[in-house]
Amino acid sequence: MNDSWLFRLSPYQRLLTHAVLLVLAIPYVLPLIWMLSTSLKTDAQIFPREGSSISPVSLENLVPRPVQWANYPDALKTVPFAVYLQNTLMLCALNVLGAVGSSAIVAYGFARIRFKGREPLFLLLLATMALPGQVTMIPTFALYTKLGWYGTFLPLIVPAFFGSPFFIFLMRQFFMTLPEELAEAARIEGASEWDIFWRIVLPLSKPVLATCALFQFLGSWNDFFGPLLYLNDPSRYTLAYGLQQFMSSYGGKYAQLMAATTLFTLPIILLFFLAQKTFIQGIATTGTKG
Amino acid sequence: MQNNRLGLAFISPWLAGFLLFTAFPFVASIWLSFCRYDIVSPPIWVGLANYDELLRNDPRFWKALSNTLWYAVAAVPLGIVTAFALALLLNLEVRGMSVYRTVFFLPSIVPAVASTMVFMWILNPQIGLVNGILSQFGVTGPAWLNDSRWAMRSLILMSLWGVGGSVIIYLAGLKDIPVSLYEAAVVDGAGPWDRTRHVTIPMMTPVIFFNLIMGIIGAFQYFTQAFIMTNGGPEDSTLFYALYLFYRAWKYLDMGYASAMAWVLFLIVTVVTAVVFRTHRTWVHYGG
Amino acid sequence: MNARVESAPQAAPLRRAVIVLLNLLLAGTFILIFALPSPRQRAYSERIPVRFWHMWSGEWKDVVDRIAARFNESQDKYEVIALSVPGGSADYKFLLAVAGGDPPDCMAQWNQVVPAWADEGMLVPLDSLMTPEEWESFQSTAYPVALKIGSYKGHLYGVTTGINIWACYYRPDHLREAGLDPDKFPTDLDEMWDWGLKLKCAGPDGSITRMGFLPGWYAQYAPVFGGGFYDSQTGQVTINTPANLRALTWLAGKQKELGFDKVVRFQAMLNTGGFSTQWPFISGQYSITVDGQWRVEQLAKFAPDLEYRTAPIPPPKGGRAHAGWSNGNFMIIPKGAREVAGAWEFIKFWSGVENPERAAEFYTWGGWLPLSRRIAQAPIYQDYLKKYPQFRTFLDVLPSENIQVTPPVPFQVFLWDMVGRADDFAMRGTKTPKQALEDLEREMQQEIAKRKRFGL
Repeated sequence: MNDSWLFRLSPYQRLLTHAVLLVLAIPYVLPLIWMLSTSLKTDAQIFPREGSSISPVSLENLVPRPVQWANYPDALKTVPFAVYLQNTLMLCALNVLGAVGSSAIVAYGFARIRFKGREPLFLLLLATMALPGQVTMIPTFALYTKLGWYGTFLPLIVPAFFGSPFFIFLMRQFFMTLPEELAEAARIEGASEWDIFWRIVLPLSKPVLATCALFQFLGSWNDFFGPLLYLNDPSRYTLAYGLQQFMSSYGGKYAQLMAATTLFTLPIILLFFLAQKTFIQGIATTGTKG
Repeated sequence: MQNNRLGLAFISPWLAGFLLFTAFPFVASIWLSFCRYDIVSPPIWVGLANYDELLRNDPRFWKALSNTLWYAVAAVPLGIVTAFALALLLNLEVRGMSVYRTVFFLPSIVPAVASTMVFMWILNPQIGLVNGILSQFGVTGPAWLNDSRWAMRSLILMSLWGVGGSVIIYLAGLKDIPVSLYEAAVVDGAGPWDRTRHVTIPMMTPVIFFNLIMGIIGAFQYFTQAFIMTNGGPEDSTLFYALYLFYRAWKYLDMGYASAMAWVLFLIVTVVTAVVFRTHRTWVHYGG
Repeated sequence: MNARVESAPQAAPLRRAVIVLLNLLLAGTFILIFALPSPRQRAYSERIPVRFWHMWSGEWKDVVDRIAARFNESQDKYEVIALSVPGGSADYKFLLAVAGGDPPDCMAQWNQVVPAWADEGMLVPLDSLMTPEEWESFQSTAYPVALKIGSYKGHLYGVTTGINIWACYYRPDHLREAGLDPDKFPTDLDEMWDWGLKLKCAGPDGSITRMGFLPGWYAQYAPVFGGGFYDSQTGQVTINTPANLRALTWLAGKQKELGFDKVVRFQAMLNTGGFSTQWPFISGQYSITVDGQWRVEQLAKFAPDLEYRTAPIPPPKGGRAHAGWSNGNFMIIPKGAREVAGAWEFIKFWSGVENPERAAEFYTWGGWLPLSRRIAQAPIYQDYLKKYPQFRTFLDVLPSENIQVTPPVPFQVFLWDMVGRADDFAMRGTKTPKQALEDLEREMQQEIAKRKRFGL
């Protein structure tokens, strides 16, 4: 069923939309532009000359002259990039799998099954997000140390498989908007609750699942605090940790830092750009909805 | 359907995780709030002394709390409205929309290092973009982040930069609205504005509810930008609760006091969340 | 009724490609998990390991690695394994490791941690690792400020491997332009202020474009005026003293003279968000500025053609010469370290407690100020001074007794934060200096009373 006629705009409206979006987009895209620009400069061009603007960010300095592509390979050499990438990908993959999978199961329970204590338990779930992590850091650290997990990847992987409150809450909201009739029909035909979950609800929830996967990937990709606390072996560190090390450098390899940051950011941008249809995908059902 | 065992079975992963990994640290931090604890030496029981000190003798505590409250009251509604409006815009069928969507999500991806630098330049009093534009109109802009009256407002403004995540969630929700509802509305003679008011917004209330709760929880724990950019200044105007807690815990090595602060915050946030939760049945509409 | 659900028709190829790619990625990482690299191999696996943490990175990390390698080559009992931890978070990692019972054997620190951590019993008193003669010798040869930085309640907890000293940097070209003689740099603070006024440039709208001299940072100037925040005789924190008040009044007065708002805007313009290589002195926004000795190497590296000179901070009438505030890098050994003896050997090696002539070379690698006179007098170090003549000023100031450090009290970090806060209030004109100091005094008394109540 073609629904685009509802959202089709006149050429004038289209132009207006572009104009508004372009203006709004400027402050959002500035950081990236500045990052790219700085990453391609030589150190000499970044450091201010007599009388020029002191700020590293300024309009006149936007275009690098000359363009120093070498910053990128140089940045890659400064940290053991391949090792960090490997570790990061491993952690991202496991965390995405664990968090999205387990959260979906739990969310289904909260959304579609009535059981005693459902509401208080759900409030408890929300409440666990309300306590600042600063004060649970030490007991948590002590717990993992007692378990013997200090120095291993385990504290960075295992908790993901027990559900993440943020995703559980989000998925619950989405599951609750799905019509009951589908489930009813399947139940009449003798399907178990798990079948309904696996065969009906999950496929209909691709957008929210993909959204959560993206968020988890982003979170694991950017997580440097976890590796900082629990890992002591440089061969186990991640990209985020490597970038942090770069940033604490007092040496002034400014342009390379920006090159490293850009390299760090680019994969996510690409991932989002290419995969966005998946989580913004609408589902046109025939017949049952409405 | 009603089924106690099945329900518990489905939520068992979270329940198990809670009992294994979350419950102990939670209970431990409550206990620590009644102790004097400097992280290295064993905790010493002091009863309610931390709470007493906190509520009666610490003017910075109240400053931090009021700062955080002001931020929450301003930034949360602003964030929801902005994100929702943006999502509506980005939902339109215009060519190149995927590029726009990526652009608005960028600040959530770009590391704080870059966003901070750019933002501090945009709001720089003497050479920044905003004041530059203002001076074209003959207005001398304020000193933004360097002025104790404007620093908080600058941070509230900056929070609009981070709406990308919420926008995506809204977009996912928008696409889930059955087309048939819109069709029925058009048949009834509704224009685009009415359609938005009577179809889109009601159907989106579950998602709005989510963003509202998460927004509240997030606002009360606001920390990173204040830590990187202002360090609580100028003159304590951006001393956020979570930042002050952080100083007490890790800088002054007063973890017991910080735990007390954390649990006070916890109580406040839980009460607010519970109130919103209680009222949600009146305005949240779950379709299906 | 059978519900059939279809996905909306989609431009298939791209999306399919993405999905395939993502699946490959997933599969690939699972394979990679099993092929993960093994932990770092040790160079001297038969030796006793000494785990050493530090916060240097980039090219500074290379310097540290070189020093560690030299140590490893110089003996055959221990192997130092250096780990670079990002500066902002090293303290948590360290604290957690100590709390968890698995700390490193030694750590290079530069934050104000000695009194607080020593008071908690977290650090090994290094004087207990010396013989009485060694301790005697250390106390008489080390510079006074080195002793101040690392000591607490009569014991030594940190040995410095680099001390920071502040002095004036000035640009002869700006001076000549304004008709001032660079060879006759002021020896009186008020005279330097007058020079600053002559060097100041303003834009058409009155905003400051070049600052001749902007005095700021109360903690640095209080000793210069003869004040200070600690009385070593009584062991008490001193805040609202006449000298301290005079210092703050002078500083705040100068901000007022220039215009509080103008100064704030000017400083904001220079606020580079933490990148230390963007120095306004190089780009000419300051003609005279007070900064640390590390700028010398930076200038040599990034602005070798810039003409500049250095001089000690001139005191006001009734103030103290060669005074100021200082901190530095120092080595500590946590309680619970597995290999204390090895750590101590490494510390002696690097800092020059043992064999100062050999250690002098390490100081030149980092451009660090030495621990003792013997290191400064070593030929290698003297050559370094010839290469960077402006560095001499800092070395001249280094032995002074008038240099103060952050008061060695357990609540030192809190105190210093509060001092900075009072400084801020006074410099913005929100409070008068008198008011700011009185409030600060009151806050500190409250803190001390609270600590007593909690039994500290």
